[in-house]
Amino acid sequence: MRTSVPIKVLAQLGWRNLWRHRRRNIMLMGAIVLAVGFVLLANSLLRGWQAQMLDTVVANLPGHVKVLAPGYRDDPSIQRGFQLPADYQPDLPGVDSWTSRVRVPGVILSERDTRGVQLVGVDPQRELAISFLADVELEGEFLQDSEDRRVLIGAGLAEQLETSVGRRIVLMTQGSDGRNREAGFRVAGVYRASSSGLEKVFVFTGRRVLQDLLDSEAVTELSIRLVENGQRAMARDLLQRQFAAQEASTWDELEPMAASMYKFADTAMLIWFSIMMAALAFGLVNTLVTAVMERTRELGMLRAIGMQPGVVLLQVVMESLMVVSLGVLMGIGMGMLAVYSLSDGIDLSEWTAGIEGYYMSSVLVPVLLPYDIFRITVLSLLFGLLASIFPAWRAVRVEPLDAMRR
Amino acid sequence: MLALFLAIPVAAQDARALVAGAIDLTRGTTSYAEMSMQIHRPDWQRNSSLVAWTSGREDALIRFTAPAKDAGNATLKDDEKMWTFTPRLNRVIRLPYSLMAQSWAGSDFSYNDLSRTDTLLHDYTLSLLETRQDEDHIVYTIEAVPHDDAPVVWGREVLVLRDDYVLLSHTFHDQDDQPLKRLEAMEIGEKGGRIFATRMRMVKLDEQDHWTEVSYDEVQFDVELEEGLFTVYTLRSGAGG
Repeated sequence: MRTSVPIKVLAQLGWRNLWRHRRRNIMLMGAIVLAVGFVLLANSLLRGWQAQMLDTVVANLPGHVKVLAPGYRDDPSIQRGFQLPADYQPDLPGVDSWTSRVRVPGVILSERDTRGVQLVGVDPQRELAISFLADVELEGEFLQDSEDRRVLIGAGLAEQLETSVGRRIVLMTQGSDGRNREAGFRVAGVYRASSSGLEKVFVFTGRRVLQDLLDSEAVTELSIRLVENGQRAMARDLLQRQFAAQEASTWDELEPMAASMYKFADTAMLIWFSIMMAALAFGLVNTLVTAVMERTRELGMLRAIGMQPGVVLLQVVMESLMVVSLGVLMGIGMGMLAVYSLSDGIDLSEWTAGIEGYYMSSVLVPVLLPYDIFRITVLSLLFGLLASIFPAWRAVRVEPLDAMRR
Repeated sequence: MLALFLAIPVAAQDARALVAGAIDLTRGTTSYAEMSMQIHRPDWQRNSSLVAWTSGREDALIRFTAPAKDAGNATLKDDEKMWTFTPRLNRVIRLPYSLMAQSWAGSDFSYNDLSRTDTLLHDYTLSLLETRQDEDHIVYTIEAVPHDDAPVVWGREVLVLRDDYVLLSHTFHDQDDQPLKRLEAMEIGEKGGRIFATRMRMVKLDEQDHWTEVSYDEVQFDVELEEGLFTVYTLRSGAGG
């Protein structure tokens, strides 16, 4: 019906058109490469942060679901503990591991320094199955059992206190009668965790030992790790029924800040992407419009000898897509290269003090998800398509007669 | 000298008796003292004056009288509890135990140095290291090693005590046996009818030129103290001084 131009010829034409303004188009492509590359890198850094956050929050001490006494969160003291039968076993489906702990604020002292910490009395074997202690680097020994009268401290804390394995430190805290308790303990081991924040906060000792020091039989928390993160709400409801007098909560209820930051990271990725692309759009549209204006006479000629408006439109869109897809491909390549070169992580320890509040550890390892590569590629191509609509429309509107008269 | 050659338990008992004697010396006595304190650092030093009332080793009230900017700042000790008062803030603060190891009024003394009472007898294994004759006195060197579960951070402490219970020095070693700080008697004399170290210096041994010296300008022992002197009320009202 119409004298249609084969796609191959159109592509050839487009490709040659691009090479007519080599410098301009290479610069445009370079901008796209940079933008896409950086978006991908930023994206994987945010993903890395998210992964870390979930780790910190779930693995570190909360577990997926937790039972606490009412009021413990506002006033974490041994008075706000509860009794757990000695032979307690959680009656829940999908339990990966569980433990009970005594966790109270306290103070640790060495010859040289004094620090505020969280004292955690643990059943070492259970604790190993559930918390971050399972995969820390440990210098010295792990605690033997819940009667072990020694402590486990983090490397960051050991450094601050200038103490080490085998030395004595003093722990102070408030007993069940509200009076001060203090005692000396030997350091069994020094652990190196993923975040120096953890290292400086948690001091572990045997559960029975801490209970003795506090003069109490109670535990302050029951912490359960599930096989599936998605089952946490159901597990919470079951626990709430079993522990009617206590409060059962999921990790995102206990750490609403972390939960909302986790969600925020998703939004941040989109915002970041949109800003980069919006900035690029001006460049792309401008270049394409210029290319069309320059070729007014030529386009008029093509129309005059019978090229359909649709083909002209296709031609411009194709040129745009060529630049964009080349740029996106190379940008993704660059981004991946950047991510791999950073696969050891970025050491943020210089700024660690400031970032720990954001559930980050001192080394940020970017995480590259196939889904993100796919999403960025598709969105970028879509964007290239959108950006070419206005220039293409301009090209279609060229009147052959006016154009030829120029 | 004999003690050195006797069996160890006897020596240990001797050390214990000596420390107990030194502690008993101040038990049940009251005192009023006017003191000056000098905090010395490599590039500056600060002099202040203070007055102190004590009753035994349990109660103490210390109030700064000079310089003007510190005047009125006070510390109250009642057994193991301590409070501070700052008139400019007009607030009494009960010191959390966690702060007891911190420096008192910017000096080289910690709150613990002011507050510890009989812990040497309860929490340490005491032994006599050396006995020597020094002019008119026998001088004992006593080693105090804290029990494993004692709330003491030091590796060991070494006390040098005269036979009249005057403490000549008290050195705090870390767990590598590095001496970290030492309380030294700089002058021993008679004031208020008693012989004691009238000028003492706490020296930081791991830092150059860090020390704090306290000297007694005026002391009275067994004074009549007004009722309720060692209370938060007195601390706040600035009474007594």
